[in-house]
Amino acid sequence: MERSLRYCLNCLCAAVVFSCSENSSDLSSEERRALATQVFSEGSHLPQGSAKSMTRIARAIEIDSTYAEALREHSVAYLKRGMPHKWKPWFDKAVYHDPQTWQPWRGYLYLWFYRDYKKAIADFNASDTLTPYIDYPQGHSVDYWRGIAYLGLKDYQNSIAFFNKHILKETADSGEDWVEINAFLYRGIAYMQAGDSIKALENYDKVIHYFKKSADAKYWKARMIQHTGEKEKTLALANQAKEDFKEGYFNNRPYVETLFQLYPEDFEVLITSINE
Amino acid sequence: MKKWLKITLFVLFGGILILIGVIGYGYYHYWGRFTADTATYPPSVEYIDPEKALYGKGFKACNENSIAQYYNPERATYSKGKNGLRKFIMSNYINKGYSDSGYLNIRFVINCKGAAGRYIIHENTLDLEPTELDKDMTNQLFALTRQLKDWNPVFFRGKNRDAYMYLSYRIENGEIVAILP
Repeated sequence: MERSLRYCLNCLCAAVVFSCSENSSDLSSEERRALATQVFSEGSHLPQGSAKSMTRIARAIEIDSTYAEALREHSVAYLKRGMPHKWKPWFDKAVYHDPQTWQPWRGYLYLWFYRDYKKAIADFNASDTLTPYIDYPQGHSVDYWRGIAYLGLKDYQNSIAFFNKHILKETADSGEDWVEINAFLYRGIAYMQAGDSIKALENYDKVIHYFKKSADAKYWKARMIQHTGEKEKTLALANQAKEDFKEGYFNNRPYVETLFQLYPEDFEVLITSINE
Repeated sequence: MKKWLKITLFVLFGGILILIGVIGYGYYHYWGRFTADTATYPPSVEYIDPEKALYGKGFKACNENSIAQYYNPERATYSKGKNGLRKFIMSNYINKGYSDSGYLNIRFVINCKGAAGRYIIHENTLDLEPTELDKDMTNQLFALTRQLKDWNPVFFRGKNRDAYMYLSYRIENGEIVAILP
C-alpha cells in the first residue's frame, strides 16, 4: 500500500515537472535552471552531434537561454567537425553568460582549432581580470597556453616569459618534476628559434632527465648538436628519438595537429642528413 | 496437459515477457524517449547530403548508416601523411595576387576503401563569419584538395570504416598560413 502510494506520488511529480517543462516561462530562474540542467544531463550519453543529442541541448537552452554549459555543448560538434561559422555563435553566447569559465576556454579553442594566436591571447589576457586566480582551461594554466600562442606568433621573448612564469609557479606548487613536459619542450624550441642554443639544450635535457623517453626533445636536441662534429652521439640520439616515436612518446593532440608536430619521415630525414 | 508442463510453459512465457519488458524499458530510457529534430540536425550536424554535395553522385560509402568522424581511433589520414599533404598543397598553390583572408573549410567523406567524395565548402572570414572568398582562390584550393585521392580510412573495432573529414585552410592576404586539422 505504502509502495503504491509512493508510486502514485512519483507519477504526480513527473506530471508536474512535465507540465512545467511545457510552459517553462512560468518558472523562476532557479527552477528554469534546474529543469534545463535535468533535460541537458539526462541525454549526456547520446552521441555528440546526433539529432537526438542536439535536440535535447536545444530544449535545455529553450528552457534557460542563459545556461552556458548547454550553449557550449551545443557548439562542440560544430567545432570538431569543421563548421566554424556554426561553432562561434553558440560558444560566444556561452562566454557572454559565463565569461569566467568559458572565455579562457575559447582562447584555448582559438589557439588549437583556428590557429588564431592573437584572439587566443586576448581571451587568456581577459581571464587575468575575470578571475582572481590563474585559470586552467583544458588542464593547463593560461600562462602555459600563452607561451604556446606567442611561440605561434614567433614572439619568442613573450613565449619564453610566459613559459618561465608557468614553470616557476608549477615548480613552487608541486616541484619541477610535476611540470608539464611540453612546457620545457616548447620553451626549448622558443630559445632555439631565438638563437639561444645553450638555453634550448638545457630545456631539452630537462625533458629527457625527467621523462627519459621523448621523441621530440631528442629530435630537436639532435638537430641542435648535429653540426658540432659529434656524429656518433648525434646519430644515437636521433635513433633513440625514432624509437621513442615508434613507442608513442611524442607530442601530439587529439582532433588537431600540434605546434611543431613531428612525423615518422622527419626522423628519417634527420638520420639521413646526419649520415651525409 | 500435464501440470509440470503447464508450469514450465507459464514460467517460460512469464520470463520472456519480463525480458521483453526490461529490454523495452532499457531501450526507451536510453534512447527511445529522446526526440530528434531531424529537420534541423539531419541526422547529425556533420551530415552531407549526397544530392547537394559536390562530386556526391557516384561516390559510395561502405555503410551509409554509420559514417564515423576522422578523429576516431585510428584516425583518417592522407596516405602521404600530413607533411605530404602540406607539401602537395603548398608547392602547387599559386597566389595569383589574391588579397582575401579567411578560412576555407572543405568537408568531405572518406570511405572505408580510402576514396574521398561528397565535398562541401564553407567560406568564412578570420572572425569565423560566413563570407564569399575570392572565387578563383577557392576553386584552385578545391581542385587541389580533390587531387588528394588516397586516404587511410578510419579504423576501429577491427575494420576500416567511412568517416567525415575536413581540411581547413587559414588564409591571410591570399597566402596559406595553416592547414588544419
